[in-house]
Amino acid sequence: MRRHRRVGLLATLAALALFGSACGTSSNNNGNQPAIGGTLTIDNESGALWQCDFNPYNGSVNGQSFGVLYEPLVYDNLLNDKKTNWLASDYTWSSDSKTLTFTIRSGVKWTDGQPFSADDVVFSFNLIKQHSELDLQSVWQVLDSVTKDSSGKVVMTFKQSAVPNFYQIAGQTAIVPQHIWSAFKDPVSQVVKDPVGTGPFTMSQCTGQNITFTRNPNYWQTGLPRLQTVTYPAFLDNDPANAFLATGQAQWGGQFIPNIDTYYVARDPQNNKYWFPPINNINIWFNTTIAPFNNKAVRQAIAYSIDRDSVSKKGEYGYEPPGNQTGVLSPTFDSWIDKAQADKYGYKFDPTKAAALLQQAGYTKGSSGIYQDASGKKLSFTIIDIAGYTDWVASVQVIQDNLKQVGIELKAQNLESNAYFDKLFTGNFQLAYGSLDTSPGPTPYYELRNTLHSGTTAAIGQTAAGDYGRYKNPAVDTLFDQFGATTDSAKQHDLIKQVEAIMLEDVPVIPVTEGVAWYQYSTKDFAGWPTPADPYAAPAPWNLPDWEVTLLHVYKKS
Amino acid sequence: MSYIARRLEFFVITVWAALTINFILPRIMPGNPGQAMLVRFHGRVSPQTIKALEVAFGINNNESIFQQYFEYLGNTLRGDFGTSLTFFPAPVGDIVKQGLPWTLGLVGMATIIAFALGTLIGMLSAWRRGGFLDAILPPAFIVISAFPYFWLGLLVLLVFAITLGWFPLGFAYDLSSSINLSWDFAGQVAWHGFLPALTIVITSIGGWILTMRNTMITTLAEDYVKMARAKGLSPVRIMFMYAGRNAILPNLTGFAMSLGFVISGAILVEIVFNYPGVGFTLLQAVHSEDFALMQTLFLLITIAVLVAVLAADFLTAWLDPRTREQA
Repeated sequence: MRRHRRVGLLATLAALALFGSACGTSSNNNGNQPAIGGTLTIDNESGALWQCDFNPYNGSVNGQSFGVLYEPLVYDNLLNDKKTNWLASDYTWSSDSKTLTFTIRSGVKWTDGQPFSADDVVFSFNLIKQHSELDLQSVWQVLDSVTKDSSGKVVMTFKQSAVPNFYQIAGQTAIVPQHIWSAFKDPVSQVVKDPVGTGPFTMSQCTGQNITFTRNPNYWQTGLPRLQTVTYPAFLDNDPANAFLATGQAQWGGQFIPNIDTYYVARDPQNNKYWFPPINNINIWFNTTIAPFNNKAVRQAIAYSIDRDSVSKKGEYGYEPPGNQTGVLSPTFDSWIDKAQADKYGYKFDPTKAAALLQQAGYTKGSSGIYQDASGKKLSFTIIDIAGYTDWVASVQVIQDNLKQVGIELKAQNLESNAYFDKLFTGNFQLAYGSLDTSPGPTPYYELRNTLHSGTTAAIGQTAAGDYGRYKNPAVDTLFDQFGATTDSAKQHDLIKQVEAIMLEDVPVIPVTEGVAWYQYSTKDFAGWPTPADPYAAPAPWNLPDWEVTLLHVYKKS
Repeated sequence: MSYIARRLEFFVITVWAALTINFILPRIMPGNPGQAMLVRFHGRVSPQTIKALEVAFGINNNESIFQQYFEYLGNTLRGDFGTSLTFFPAPVGDIVKQGLPWTLGLVGMATIIAFALGTLIGMLSAWRRGGFLDAILPPAFIVISAFPYFWLGLLVLLVFAITLGWFPLGFAYDLSSSINLSWDFAGQVAWHGFLPALTIVITSIGGWILTMRNTMITTLAEDYVKMARAKGLSPVRIMFMYAGRNAILPNLTGFAMSLGFVISGAILVEIVFNYPGVGFTLLQAVHSEDFALMQTLFLLITIAVLVAVLAADFLTAWLDPRTREQA
């Protein structure tokens, strides 16, 4: 999921708001049997007023419906791939990993009282097959058919072995009620004003400025949720959203807050907390179809010319940790990282090594201090970036400085976001700074595959779903395809390590920093939050459908 | 009456011209909503779907430009403004309807208060030229109106909402309540709207004070004011009915214009105070090349300005007999 991270107009002035002293203390007795009640307010800059459209298949509004209103078959934790049966009570893979059979949970009711059944599941999947615009996770690229068998189970067949696609199919596809959705003439342009789902909450009121979710008393997980009401106000800009959170009017944030320790934590050090687990990489993308980026030595030299620590500190306030060249997120996926190999290459800011690589590749330093090739063409490039993401702009400035020290000239082109994505998807750039636009997944496979697999790319000028740099390497494609065909975890780890070897040697992209799930929470009135010690869900309110799981765990202290 | 008839005639022609320009502009601009949708859907849509979308957005259909034009006029008259690209699939009408009442209420009210107060202060300070009021208020407000709006807005927010906590941080009414007709709700709206309205008033009042004061000074030197004094009329009556009534005329058109522009909202106010108005929507529409939404908002602004100017013309005709006699 893409995140806005604009630093508002005068965030610094707003930071002065801190001279107000930390406020009140609360009696801190943890209730042993939490009662049902409380109103929790979510704080997440939406950058727009709510449209009051609760269509879980519309990528611009599903953040307000997928999870709390509509649920997936299986909940698959983004942070650790831990799977919990949800609307499915069981599932099995066939031995060739080409057929997946779900047993559908019985006793679940839609919020209008109608029973939920396997027919709804079959209907939902075939709905997004017919209307490919609604297939947000492109599940029908691998699915062949979804049907109900004679015993009432849902059977999915695949065009190819697609074990990792379980995450998108079971974990990221919302199930909608057939008895309502079959009446929609055109589900693509349907505005869903009165959502009916299976989720723990119902939408009780929506205005442009706020959505109120109310507890569903007939939820299938008996006794849950323990929150009576959840309010989700719309924030147009980061500043008011941050102020709302810092003054305690909202208790759960998904915000980028500059100087969070003074602005947020210091207002109530006992209760105001944050945790930023990395969930994706922010890369430098090479357009590998053009010179000199089709030259491995140049790519490696650039990878040795970037001081990731200083990008993280100066560009991202240290909140987004430095990335590493294996492309595997640390600490989120530490068990997948081949540390020995990474150490062998030792990618860090190393101007001598970068210079050596460039000289070996036939570049010489010109009078301006910039390297040039034999024909006198300078190593001078343009990198595209989103002007509204002030942290990225700052990061690119640090990178510019780094490269300049080595002898490579970098010019930044800060674009409006539509123009940026247009260039990024169509490959109309030399270098691009940014992350994949597709959602990350619960193992390193998802992001790496979408970054490197040539099957996700497209010709220059056409919209690519992934691999924006148009990197083509049959060896790496094969590794991903093998990963897709196995359910054996040891084998999967081994395959990812081979991918890491290619990342280190070939440098198809440079992971510079790691994007995080922004997450702030107050323990003053509420408990049960996800923490590093208990990462039961990806913790940002914009992690879908993880936010549902968080709202099922959180309760009001008595 | 021919004065009014001429005004009406002019009004109808300008509205038609505005509608037509509004129809032509997006069609000669580069860029294509269908293409934009393609990027939005990350290439997940088939070419047929794009065709269907393009027809839905009213471009690339097989009708002639004249057919399209009359269809557009008909749709506009019926209040059907098409589908928004940014907020797909929401109809533009719904999006505008959602924000417009708040913008009209807040910015409209603040503009009227600023005009009324500014005119009164301008009048009084001209009446007592060099007096205490004249020495303090006009210069003070003119200095304030030179402050950047967001700076003042954030300062007010910081002091009254964050540090003192007297007023809410944002929104048009309490999050827990729904829109209804009750004193309680009206109170919430007033409470939430106070700070944004206050900042608009104190930043815009300076202009009204200055122009009113200056025309008033000229008017006070007119013969009919001397005549009124000679007749022994009460000073209050002279100030309001003789000098004030004439001095306000040049200001009226300016006021009408600014009332018309109320519709475009106050983008910065909405950002700073997180107010659910239509100004921020306009900004988004421009950013994402959402022609249908942009067109509708610009059309509304144009028509609002025209209606307000027309109303000001009528008011001038009533206040100033001389305009009625021309013809």
